[in-house]
Amino acid sequence: MRKNNISYAKYGYLFSIPFVLAFLIFNLYPTIYTVIIGFTDLRGLGRTTFKFLEDPFENYKSILNNATFIRSLQTTFIIWIFNFIPQVLLALLLTAWFTNRRLKVKAQGLFKVLIYMPNIITAATIAILFNSLTGYPKGPLNDLLMKLGILDAPMNFHLQSGTARGVVSFIQFWMWYGHSMIILIAGVLGINPTLFEAAEVDGATPTQIFFKITLPRLKTILLYVLVTGLIGGIQMFDIPRLFLWGGPDNATLTSSVFIYNQAFAGSYLYNRASAASMIVFIIILVLSGILFYSMRDRAEIKLKKTERNRLKEEKRMGAVR
Amino acid sequence: MKRNMRIVVSLLLICCMSLSLFAGGQAEGATKPARKVINLWSFTDEVPKMLEKYKELNPDFDYEINTTIIATTDGAYQPALDQALASSGENAPDIYCAESAFVLKYTQGDAAYFAAPYKDLGIDVDAKLKEADIAQYTVDIGTNPNGDLVGLGYQATGGAFIYRRSIAKDVWGTDDPAVITSKVGPGWDKFFKAAEDLKKKGYGIISGDGDIWHAIEGSSEKGWIVDGKLYIDPDREAFLDIAKMLIDKGYHNDTRDWTDAWFADMKDAGDKQIFGFFGPAWLINYVMAGNSGGTKPGEGTYGDWAVCEPPVGFFWGGTWVLANNNSPVKDAVGDIIEWITLDSSNTGLQYYWANGTLNGPGGTKDTVASGTVMRKSDGTLDFLGGQDMFDVFVPAGKFATGKNKTQYDETINMYWRDQVREYSYGKKSRSQAIADFKQQVADNLAIDVD
Amino acid sequence: MKGMRATTNLTKTGIYIVCIFLSVLSIFPFWVMFMNATRSTFEIQQNSIGLVPSKFLLSNWEILQGKTFDPIVGFVNSMLVSTGATLCAVYFSSLTAYALVAYSWKLRQPFFTFIMAVMMIPTQVSGIGFYQFMYRIGWTNSLWPLIIPATATPAMVFFMRQYLMASLSLDIVDSARIDGSREFHTFNRIILPIMKPAMATQAIFTFVFNWNRLFEPLILLTDGDKYTMPIMVSLLRGDIYKTEYGAVYLGLSMTVLPLFIVYFALSKHIIAGVALGALKE
Repeated sequence: MRKNNISYAKYGYLFSIPFVLAFLIFNLYPTIYTVIIGFTDLRGLGRTTFKFLEDPFENYKSILNNATFIRSLQTTFIIWIFNFIPQVLLALLLTAWFTNRRLKVKAQGLFKVLIYMPNIITAATIAILFNSLTGYPKGPLNDLLMKLGILDAPMNFHLQSGTARGVVSFIQFWMWYGHSMIILIAGVLGINPTLFEAAEVDGATPTQIFFKITLPRLKTILLYVLVTGLIGGIQMFDIPRLFLWGGPDNATLTSSVFIYNQAFAGSYLYNRASAASMIVFIIILVLSGILFYSMRDRAEIKLKKTERNRLKEEKRMGAVR
Repeated sequence: MKRNMRIVVSLLLICCMSLSLFAGGQAEGATKPARKVINLWSFTDEVPKMLEKYKELNPDFDYEINTTIIATTDGAYQPALDQALASSGENAPDIYCAESAFVLKYTQGDAAYFAAPYKDLGIDVDAKLKEADIAQYTVDIGTNPNGDLVGLGYQATGGAFIYRRSIAKDVWGTDDPAVITSKVGPGWDKFFKAAEDLKKKGYGIISGDGDIWHAIEGSSEKGWIVDGKLYIDPDREAFLDIAKMLIDKGYHNDTRDWTDAWFADMKDAGDKQIFGFFGPAWLINYVMAGNSGGTKPGEGTYGDWAVCEPPVGFFWGGTWVLANNNSPVKDAVGDIIEWITLDSSNTGLQYYWANGTLNGPGGTKDTVASGTVMRKSDGTLDFLGGQDMFDVFVPAGKFATGKNKTQYDETINMYWRDQVREYSYGKKSRSQAIADFKQQVADNLAIDVD
Repeated sequence: MKGMRATTNLTKTGIYIVCIFLSVLSIFPFWVMFMNATRSTFEIQQNSIGLVPSKFLLSNWEILQGKTFDPIVGFVNSMLVSTGATLCAVYFSSLTAYALVAYSWKLRQPFFTFIMAVMMIPTQVSGIGFYQFMYRIGWTNSLWPLIIPATATPAMVFFMRQYLMASLSLDIVDSARIDGSREFHTFNRIILPIMKPAMATQAIFTFVFNWNRLFEPLILLTDGDKYTMPIMVSLLRGDIYKTEYGAVYLGLSMTVLPLFIVYFALSKHIIAGVALGALKE
């Protein structure tokens, strides 16, 4: 058995080759480019030559002192929290319903399709649509709220930071909860059905089954949903940019829109955009590190431990030989 | 096993194909005789369609036109054009178009060094400019920092005030453009006096503050950047107070340009009836006519409009045509550009454009850069109750200035109008709005603000 | 027992109400899109949310036809890009994930950490690097730069890894070895079927993503013969002064339809109970 494991290790490398190759060819240069130019004086259109700065962290200092950037981080965080928590909760609830073997929700297939649908329209279309929906002084939402007597006069949703952020959060939530749900359902489907059968025989209620069997086994997939949700949320770009161009008064200016503006809004500050990217990268890195740590799976730890032991063993064996 | 083989084979195939693609790309660049191809980059099909006409008029012209159209709306035109210009080579643009929002970047700003002076294309610039009587602002914008002309437009986008005849009659007893010109201008004081007159009868003078902004921006003496620093022209600063006054006194319907409510005001579907809009001829043709709620006089507001001189001169929009410095086909490019921008004869592009005959009779009439052409063309429109719009737009092109523009305008205007809204809706003090505006410019564009 | 059924029915009613509400929210934008495809530009400008059809479908179609590009070419190109990228991404991500889960090798953890880190770098700046690189090596006007890079899709590797960790029992790999199956064969014949729901899920996402991708193709493809559907729709939006909104919505509607078909076809595979005995306990 042990011998087997040792001889099979090379397949780990072998099977990773296509990925690594594609990465090296297409992404290595762009990635290095992003990391490096933050330490250079590269700005201005069409320039390809640059030199490293005497103070390598000059761009970083300038970005960290940039009030708009700091505010964009806060904005990103606020918008993210308000879309991500409801998104995951609703996705979990729907997953629980659709995978509940006793409820047997009818027309499930149709619902799953419909709920995922907002994700297949382009962000540009969605942004235009919501911009018109929340229009002022006349717009469908204003008309509706006034007809229902909730508002006396039309409300300018695009002018209040609260409503503007609320709409962006809602769009993000609405575009992505179906996506999360499908992932979670796929995760549940990967769980051995005999486990559910056994629990049912034992007379467990659907709620018990969900919390005692489904959720613990969904942990690895849930970790995926949380980490990608975190990354996607902090890199949130299209909707905030297209809905109100980051306004009003920077209320929907997320850090990615800020980075984009640094590079493309007129001054072509590639170096500062790169420094800001790296700062955002570090923030995401730390936050996902926390997620990974707090969601770490016991099985995975055990796996790592045995692996470490195996490697040690291997070394020892090698030394003996 | 068979399946494995298939996968392996297809993998190999993919590798080979990609390698051959690499190789192909390089070989192509190295060998090829003098080409008979002109690469044209544009963001609409306007200029490409013109070149079709050019080929039709000049059967001897044996160049193939290779057209690339990328829309500006998704923000990809400039990055793609920049890459294509910078990488030069076989597919580099020979002729490229730039819109007024970003043309300064290509004529005077960061990308100016790509643009070829018209005189290097074999065009007798000075004589032609005089002969065609080209609107000065288009020349100013198309002149590079060395003083060479590198870009011109075909369209003139000098702005007028476009007003409702019936409302004018109701308030002042006449709809005569000459009288209305003296009611709404010159200068903003008279304009707001007119606004007061209109308010008494329950009308709004404009739809939203965005309408007036184009006029204020276009007529200010200086642009946003002076000597490398942010400069807030007093006229532009006054927009803060104007915007607030418009709200406080209820002179408009408080719409934002390009939203449903703004379009609705063109056919009286808003809260108050709106007296007028600021705009060039294209606003009439492409926006107002279609949104008037009718297609012939008597329907909706169609035919109930007229144009008069605005309180201040300005221009809005327009396309400039440039040539690449590295183009190997400069002579042919020069011929085309001259025909589009400087030919004032009856077979020049602008004559067709002004009379709406480019694609046969009955097309949209539009104002053009050449005063000579407009003077011999017919600009009467049913939409304007039979008025000849060129009578107003020829001088309008003269009032406009191209000396207050910078390559940052699109971005800085957005920040400014954002802060103006903050102030005019009472969310911030005046000084706070200005301070925040400066902060925005400094933080996003690294421009000195003090 | 009766009481329990009653509460179940009550819960079920609640579930249906919620699901129907969410479905309506989902259908709404499509409804607006399809209705706007039948309205004129000026009708749309006056009132951009239209709920009833108008009579301009044909004239919008004519505007679409009058443009210099060929929608069929766009459809074929989009299909090539999306299918190619999806196949590359799904297959090679599964393979990489399998390498990460099934084998223990020294660089396994560092490699995984690296993949995760790549995912976390904001893309705005690296995009510049990518375009520069593609223009420099002259690989523009080709569909390959939109397909091959999908081979390295970190997010999908991450997903497949998580999925395998939850559902793959290494015992079946071992038993396959005992049966004399070669490793690559084991992956293709035994592991891939287990991953079917995961692959179908990710295939849908990747297909949708690539089908809708606009910015990279816009910058890399400048030749009309290589345009994808979204580029063509974007051309309709030409410049803000004179946009044919009716035709834009018609174009968008036509762009979205193939996605439904792909979704329905793939979602059939998101089902439970594949290779039952082979799953982790």
